[in-house]
Amino acid sequence: MKTYRERASREIRLERPSATVTPIMRKLVGDSQAMLSRGPADARQRASAARAYAIDNLEDLHVQLRGRFERRGIGYHRCATAEDAVAMVRSLLGDARRVAKSKTMVGEEIGLTHALRKDGIDVLETDIGEYIVDIEGRGPSHITAPALHLNRARIREMLARTGADLPDDDPTRLSRHVRDVVGDFFQDCDAGITGANAVVASSGRITIVENEGNVSLGVSHPKLHIVLTGIEKVVADEAGALAILEVLAPSATAQPLTSFSHFLADPLPGQQRHVVFVDNGRSRALRDPRYREVLKCVRCGACMNSCPVYRVAGGLSYGSPYMGPIGAVLAPLLWPDGRYADLPFASSLCGRCTEVCPVGIPLHRMLLDLRADAVKGHHAADLKERTAWKLWALSFGGATRARAATAFTRVGLRSFGRTLRPPGPHRDDPRLLPDPSIDHDPELLLKASARRSIIPESAITEALPASLPERFAHRARQLGVDVVDACVPREGDRLVRATAAIASTGSVLLTGDQAARRPLLAAGRVVVMVDPATVVAFPHGLAAHLGGGDALILTGASRTADVEKIIVRGIHGAEEMVVVLG
Amino acid sequence: MAPMARVALFDPCYMSALRPQDAGFARHVLEALGDQVTMIDGRCCGQPAFNSGFRNEAHSVGRELLKAARPHQTVVVPSGSCTSMVRHYLPTLFEGRRASGAAAIAGRFADFASYVAGHPALQDVVFKLDGVVTYHDSCHARRELHASGAALQLLGRVEGLEVRPLLYEDECCGFGGTFAAKQPELSVAMMTAKLDDIALTGARVVVSADYSCLSHIESGARGIGVQLQGWTLAELLSRALS
Ligand code: SF4
Repeated sequence: MKTYRERASREIRLERPSATVTPIMRKLVGDSQAMLSRGPADARQRASAARAYAIDNLEDLHVQLRGRFERRGIGYHRCATAEDAVAMVRSLLGDARRVAKSKTMVGEEIGLTHALRKDGIDVLETDIGEYIVDIEGRGPSHITAPALHLNRARIREMLARTGADLPDDDPTRLSRHVRDVVGDFFQDCDAGITGANAVVASSGRITIVENEGNVSLGVSHPKLHIVLTGIEKVVADEAGALAILEVLAPSATAQPLTSFSHFLADPLPGQQRHVVFVDNGRSRALRDPRYREVLKCVRCGACMNSCPVYRVAGGLSYGSPYMGPIGAVLAPLLWPDGRYADLPFASSLCGRCTEVCPVGIPLHRMLLDLRADAVKGHHAADLKERTAWKLWALSFGGATRARAATAFTRVGLRSFGRTLRPPGPHRDDPRLLPDPSIDHDPELLLKASARRSIIPESAITEALPASLPERFAHRARQLGVDVVDACVPREGDRLVRATAAIASTGSVLLTGDQAARRPLLAAGRVVVMVDPATVVAFPHGLAAHLGGGDALILTGASRTADVEKIIVRGIHGAEEMVVVLG
Repeated sequence: MAPMARVALFDPCYMSALRPQDAGFARHVLEALGDQVTMIDGRCCGQPAFNSGFRNEAHSVGRELLKAARPHQTVVVPSGSCTSMVRHYLPTLFEGRRASGAAAIAGRFADFASYVAGHPALQDVVFKLDGVVTYHDSCHARRELHASGAALQLLGRVEGLEVRPLLYEDECCGFGGTFAAKQPELSVAMMTAKLDDIALTGARVVVSADYSCLSHIESGARGIGVQLQGWTLAELLSRALS
C-alpha cells in the first residue's frame, strides 16, 4: 500500500491497534512522568546538553574516539550508506554462520537481518519482542516495544507457527519459552550483533542498555561482537552517557534505569569487537539548521507513547523502520526520495511529542518544515490541492473578498450543513458539517448527568527515608530486590562487591572483574555487597566511580515486558537478587 | 474603574464563517471590562495553508492581517490556534527587516483567555451562571500559549458554575485543521475518544479557548446523536455577565 492514509485505514479497520495500545500508553505516559519526577530536576536539561554537545562536535569526538578504540583493540568503521553498512557487517562476520542479534534500530534501518539471511546466515532475533515480530513478518511497531501491537493470544499463535506447543497464553510462559530458545542458541553461536545507546569518546567505552539479558549474552558469549549504531551516538564523556541514562528508561518504559546498563571497555580475551557507525543521511540532516537537532534523539520512544495518531493507527502504519513522531521526522530525512513524504502529514500538530521529548527536540515544528519541503519538492499535494490553495490565497488576500468568502461559506453551511457529511470517501465518518445557524441552548448547562469518571487524586508525595543508604534500600526493594544486613550463602550464588550504588534508582554499580557477565548470568542468585558509604543520590553521581574498565549497572533482576507490557522477571540471568548493605 | 483601554478584536475567518455570534460574545466581555473595541475582520492568519505546507500562500494572507493590526497596540483573538500562528509562526515567513517588523506586530496579539485573566478591571466584574461544564484544553492554548491556567482561572470566577475535570485533558481532540479532512479516519477516532471522555464527566456543555476544536467535537456529537454543545470561553463569560 502506497500512502500512509491507506495503511492507517487498513490497520484501523482490520487490526484496531488502539484497543491494545491506548490503555497501555495512557498508563505508561503517567508512570513515565512520575518516574522522571523522582530524578534530579535538571535531568532533561543535562541530557539535552550532552546530546547537543555531541552533535555540535561530532567530527572531533569521532577523531578522539577512534584513538581510544585503537588502544582498546576495538575496530572502528564508518559507513556512508545502508548498503555499505550491510557489506561491512557481512565482511566482519567472515565465515560466521550462526548470528545472535539483539535489538538495534539501525539494523532495521539498513535491513540487516533480511540481507544476512539471504546469504544463508542463520540470524536469530534474541530480544523477545523482536523474536515475536520476526515470526509475524511485519516488522516492529514500536522502537522499544516491538510487539506492542500483538496481544497475548496473537503472540501465542505466532509462537505456535514455530512449533511451540504452549498450553496457555500466560505472559510468563510465553516470555520464558522465547528465553529458552534464545538461551539454547547462545550455547553455540559465532557472533553477536547489538546496537548502542552511546559511545563515549573520552574513554572508548560503549554504553548499551537492556532489560532481558540477551545483550549481556551477546557481548560475552560469542567470539565476535559487532556493534551497529548511528554516527550521532557518540558522546563526550561518561557524564554525558549517564545524563542520557538518567532520562532514557524513565521516558521509555517508566523504569528508573533498565535492568542492565553496560559500559563495555576492552574485548574479552580471545574476543573481537567492532563498531560500525552508519551515516545513511545523518550528515545531510546535520547540515540543515532546521533539522539538525533531530540527531539529539536518544530513541526513548516517549514521543510515540504520547502521540494520539500513533495510538490510533499503530506503528506499522508508518511503513518505515522508525514510527511515531520521530519516525515522521526521521524517515523523510534519511530517505529524501519522497517515499516517506506523507508521514509528516500524519499529525494533528498537537505538540505533545515536543512536550515529552527528554532532549527537547521540537518535533512538531520539524513536521511543519517537512510539510513545506514536501510541497516544494512536489512530493505532496496534487494539482487540485495546489490550485485550491492559490484560490484560497486570492480570496483571503483582501478584506472584501475575504468577507465574501466567509459569508458564502456561512450561507452554504446554513443551508446544507445540517445534512451534509464532509466530502471524502470515508463511509464511517459520523461528522456533520458545522451549522452556523444552530443556537446554543443555555438550558443544557442544567442538564448534566452524574459524573462517571474518577479523577485520580494527584499522587501523595512519597515519604522517603532521609539517608542515602536507606533510600537506596527502599528503591531496591521496590524492584523486587531483597535488601538484608547479612545473608547465608547458597550453592549457585554469585557473590560480587559493588563499587557504588544509586539511591534514586536502587541500582548497584559493578566494575572490573565484578562486572563479568558470564558468571552473573549463570548464577542461581546474585548477592551484591554494598558499602553504605558508596551510595550516591542520582545516576550522574556515578561518573566518578566508573573507573577505566568494564562496568555494569544492575537495576533489579532481568525482566521483560514484551507481552502486553506485563512485567516478567528473571529472563536471562537470576530471578533473585540480594543486596547485603553494611 | 481602571482607565479605558483601546483594543482591537480580531474575528478569525473560520469563526466568522462557522460561529458568527461569537465575536459579539467576546466584544461584550471586553466592553464589560471597560475596553473600547475596534473589530478586525475579513482577514486570516494563514494557518490552514501554513499547516498544509503552502508557505507562500500563508505569507500573502497573513501579511494582510498584520497590516490591519499595525495601528493597534493590542489585538485580542478569541481563538488559541490563530494567536499561536500569529505569534510563533507568521513572523518566520518574512525575511530580513520585514521579519522583525512582523514580529513586533505579532507580539501585540494576545489570546482572549490570557488577556481577560490579566485585565486590571477584572476584579470589578461579576460573572454568574448556574450549571455544569467541563473544560477542553486545546493543544495550542496549552502548549504554545500556556494559557490553560488563565482559562481555568476565569472559569473559576463564575459563580454557580461547576467545572468538572476531564480525564486525559491533555489529549488532542483530533481536529488539527486540514488534518480533520486529510486524515478523516485518524481524526474521527481521536474525536470519538474525546467524546467518550467528555461523556464520563456528565456535562452537556464543553468549554474551550478554541472554537476550532469545539466545532469538530460538536459536528461529531451531532452526527452520532450525543447531546453536547461546545461553548467558547467568550460565550460562557458573556452569558455569565447578563
Ligand atoms: S524524538 Fe525525543 S521522545 Fe522521540 S524517541 Fe527521540 S528522544 Fe525520545
